[in-house]
Parts: sequence; C-alpha cells; structure tokens
Amino acid sequence: MSNLIKRDLLLSFYSSANFFFTVSFFILILMLIPFAFGTQTEQLKVLFRGVVWIALALSIIITVDRIYNADYEDGNLDIIMQKNKTIEYLIISKYITHWFIYCLPLLVILPLLSFLFYLDYLETTQIFINLFIGSFGMVFIANFVSALTLGARRTIFLKAIIMIPLFVPFIIFGSDAGSWPILLALSMLSFVISIYVTAYGLRLYGE
Amino acid sequence: MNELKTENLSCKRGENIVLNNINFSIKSGETLVVKGRNGSGKTTLLRILSSFITSYEGKVLFNDVGISEDNLYNSKFNLIGQKNSLKENLSIKKNLELWDILFNEALDHTKLLEHNNLYHLFNKDVSSLSDGQKKCISLHRLNYNKYDLWFLDEPFVFLDEVNTNLLIEKINQFNENMGTVILTSNINLPKKFHKEINI
Amino acid sequence: MYIKIKNNHIELIKSANPYLIFATIFAFVIGLYYSLFQSPPDYIQGDSMRIMYIHVPSAWFALMTYSILAGSCVLWFITRNPLFNVVARSIAQVGMIFTLMSLITGSIWGKPTWGVWWVWDARLTSMLILFFLYIAYIFLWQAISNKELASKISAALAIIGFINIPIIKFSVDWWNTLHQPASISKLSAPSIDVSMLIPLFIMTAACFLFLVTVSLIRFRLVLIENKVLRTSN
Repeated sequence: MSNLIKRDLLLSFYSSANFFFTVSFFILILMLIPFAFGTQTEQLKVLFRGVVWIALALSIIITVDRIYNADYEDGNLDIIMQKNKTIEYLIISKYITHWFIYCLPLLVILPLLSFLFYLDYLETTQIFINLFIGSFGMVFIANFVSALTLGARRTIFLKAIIMIPLFVPFIIFGSDAGSWPILLALSMLSFVISIYVTAYGLRLYGE
Repeated sequence: MNELKTENLSCKRGENIVLNNINFSIKSGETLVVKGRNGSGKTTLLRILSSFITSYEGKVLFNDVGISEDNLYNSKFNLIGQKNSLKENLSIKKNLELWDILFNEALDHTKLLEHNNLYHLFNKDVSSLSDGQKKCISLHRLNYNKYDLWFLDEPFVFLDEVNTNLLIEKINQFNENMGTVILTSNINLPKKFHKEINI
Repeated sequence: MYIKIKNNHIELIKSANPYLIFATIFAFVIGLYYSLFQSPPDYIQGDSMRIMYIHVPSAWFALMTYSILAGSCVLWFITRNPLFNVVARSIAQVGMIFTLMSLITGSIWGKPTWGVWWVWDARLTSMLILFFLYIAYIFLWQAISNKELASKISAALAIIGFINIPIIKFSVDWWNTLHQPASISKLSAPSIDVSMLIPLFIMTAACFLFLVTVSLIRFRLVLIENKVLRTSN
C-alpha cells in the first residue's frame, strides 16, 4: 500500500506538468468570473462561493483519466493489482494519492484566491472547510467512474456525463456555509459506494 | 520443490469456450511452452494462472493447494504480459525507478542494461525506442529475483536473434536455480524446452 | 451472453408486434380525441391544461421505466439470468424518450401557466438528471466494445444512478429553501373531475402500450443479435 502511494507520488513528480495544468486550470476558471460578470465586490463574493465548486468539479473531471486509465493502458495496473492482493488497500491508496496530488494544491491556493475575491477570513474558512470535505467525496466518485470506464472509448465526455449528476448534491450543499455535516455524510456515503464499485470495476477489467 | 498443476481447466468467455480441458503439471526447474494459434486462449491461460481471471472450471493447484486459497501465491510469480508497462513520456531510468518501488526491490540497473546493450539509452524517453528495445526493457522485470514462477506472454515477439538467445540463456539459468517458467509462443523456438502443450 | 430461449418465443413476440402497434396507435387516437375534445377545459388554466394528459403519463413512465431498469439490473446481479439484462437494455431507450417527452411538454405547459419555460425545482431538476442517467447508461454500453463487460458496467451505473435520484431530489428541495422562496406554489388539485380522469386514464394506457410495444421490438432485436453472435462463433 505504501509502495503504491510512493510510486504514484514519484510518477506525478516526474510528470509534474500535469499537476501545474490542473492548478492553472482551476485558477483560470475562477479568473473568468470577473470577466463574465463584472467586478462589483458583492457580486464577486456571491459568485466565488459557487464557481469555486464548479472549478473543483471540472478540475477533478479532467484528472480522472490519470487514476486508473493510464496504468491500465500501458499494463502497469496488472503489476499494481498483483502486488496489492487486498484490492481495498489499493483503492484507498489511490484515493489518497489522487486527493493529495490534485485536490490539495487547489485547497492550498484557495485562500489566496478567495482574498482576491474580497472574502474575509471567516468566509474563507467556511468555504475551505466545505471544499475540503466535499473534495474527498468527489475524489471517491471520480475513482469509481475511472475504474468503471477503463475499457470505454471517447471517455472524457462520457465520464463527465456520468460524473456531473453525481456531483450535483455536493455542489448544492457546498455553496452553503452551514451544511458541512451534510457534505460529510455525502462523502461517507460515496466512500462506501465507491470502494465496492471500484473493486468491482477493477476485478472485471483484470479478467 | 514446487509444482504447478491444472486439472480439467476450462474457461468460457461469454458463450465462447476459450480453454477446453487443459491438463498439465510442471515442477521446479522446468519450462513449459504453451503453443497455439492467435486467439486460442494462451493469454487467458496465463491470466488464470496469475489469478486475474477467477471464473473458470476445473482446478489450478500450486503445491496441491488451489491458487485462490493460497494467500501468498500472488507474491510467488512474475507475470510479463504483452503490454510493456512503460510510461512512454518518461525516460528508461525513471520507468525503472517506478518499477523498483512497485517490486519493492532496488536493482543495479546499469550493469543489467549493459548486458542488453541499452545503457546508452538510459536517459532517453521510452517513446523514442523501437518495439524490440521496449520489449527488452519490459523483460528487464525478470531481474527482480524473489519469484518462483515466471509467466511470460509472447516474450520473443520483436526480439532480435541476440536478445532471443540472451532470454533463452536467462530462462535456462532460472531453471537451474529451480525456477519454473511458463511461456506462450505461436512460433517455433530455436531451442527445445522441457515441456510443450498445444491449445 | 448465452441466452436459452426457444425460437418460437421470438416468433411469438414477432407475431404480436402488429397487434401491439395497432393497439398503441388506436389508444393514442382515442386518448387524444378524449383529451382534446371530450373533456372540459380547466376553469383556471383553460385549454393549456390539456397537455397534462400527455405530460403526466410520460413523467410517470419515465420514472417507472428507470425503476424497472434499475430493478432488473439488481435482479441480474443476484440471479445471473441474462434475460434481466436484456430487459434493462430494451427499455432504456423508451425511458429516455418518455423523460424527454415529459421535459418538453412540461416546459410547454409551464410557459402559459407559470410564465416561464423552466423552474429550478426538485421535480424538474431530478427529471433533467434522470434524462442524463439514461444517456449515460445507453452510451456507456455503446462505448465499451466487450459487450458482456459493457452490460455489467452499465448495470452497475444504473444502480448507482437509482441511488442518486432521491439524493438529488432531497438536495434540490433543500437548496430551494436555501436560495429562493417558493415563488411558485404547486398546483393543488383537490378533486379531479371524472371527465378529466377518463382521458388521463386512456393516455396512460396508451403510453403503457407504447412502452410495451417498443420494448418488445427491442427485446426481440437484442435476442436475435445474441443468437447471431452465438451461431457465428
């Protein structure tokens, strides 16, 4: 399990362009808000709360191919599955690395961005907590979608169509400051579903 | 002394019968060549033996224990599939480092690659290599040496004469150290191995 | 996929087709006649309310079809009987048509009644998402070339979608209380007149016949497809 985490971190370090692309993508989407809606402070504050979730959802969607698909296509998934006989450990390691590589950087730059949108410390903290909890749930969903669509063609659009309806509850509750307990419940539910479905998908494609 | 054995092994994919009544037994120090035409189920057989495919009829026994019941079985074999498990956009060096972590074993790659005359490409991206060179590097995984069994899926494809002989030599050496090899091939090999089955 | 089905069963379905098609058309004609001419206009909404006779049944069947789809996927996982998978695959397209139908008729009805084409409330939003669930199910199946695998994967997705629908309904309800006051009160219909029930009933029956007819045609096609696969190997 720790070997897989180490290996995935090293792999993402070696192809660090991907990592910068995701962060830049996230920032650029948020940068579009003032261009699209003007620079009134109050309006920006409201829009930021919502668009930050859309940006997170899109960032996760564009990274979903890198969870299992790349390793499946070049054959490394076979090695990984052989070395991690307990498939649940494998999946949990993938959750950890995917979150660590692609969500953590977004959360780190979030406070910076939210100050650019005139939000104060309290509001930033609220957004941060919600995004922190919700990002886990979204990562769980992204993982099982990635495992289910390993053998599919034209996948990125298909994955988006599958994932966005599943992200809807997160986005609804995410933009409300007080609903972090619901986000937590949703994340836990998606963890339970995800671990079963991912294992199912990986076993099917292993055959 | 290890023994890998199948008893009346059959496998259906959907409604197609891919494998029908395969029986063989192979002991430490032996090599089994699985021959068959394209699509005859050679890869399926290797994937059953490496416990990826679990829905089959009949028995696969390692030392008289079913492979699905043996918890340690997964750490006993080394499977080299047809995909070469290389990241195209990374150099050979980086790819080998990633494998080292996955296999939990640090190898002296420089010496081993010199053997195959690949060392001068050590920092080149994999995408710039030829298919034969990729296959050589893919087979480089055989140097991880904690395994009792090797499962090689079409190992001689793309290899030139020199590398083919090097691989045969390596298999012989592994056999002498009481290792067991099962390899698939659809062409005649330059050397006779211990056992051969047709499927 | 190996399906044990006798040839005469397929023939039976084939011979029933013309009758079913005729019955469907007949029911729609009668239903439309009743709903357009033989029922009184609503005393508040006037004639625009007549679209309800097609909207309500298609919304019911959109939901029902998805329940059958998800249910047969669950049963397929439990019993491993491939017929359940064929059922799921044959009704998916009809379900998508029903969902689209109810969305379109709903908007057409909403414009004169609410003054807007669309309202972001729980019912409409979950209907829209249901439409995308159907799309995901159908296209995921098409995108995976190994069809046995495709069936398993898309069945798993259908079940996940089935869990997702109530969650979305609940969250949009919650979201509405958060973001906007309930500006549009749902139309309460305390008592429906019998004269309105008759066309509604006939249209429901017509939609049901449509569901059965199209599903059976697809059911037969899927079976034949699998049979062809079997003999060709």
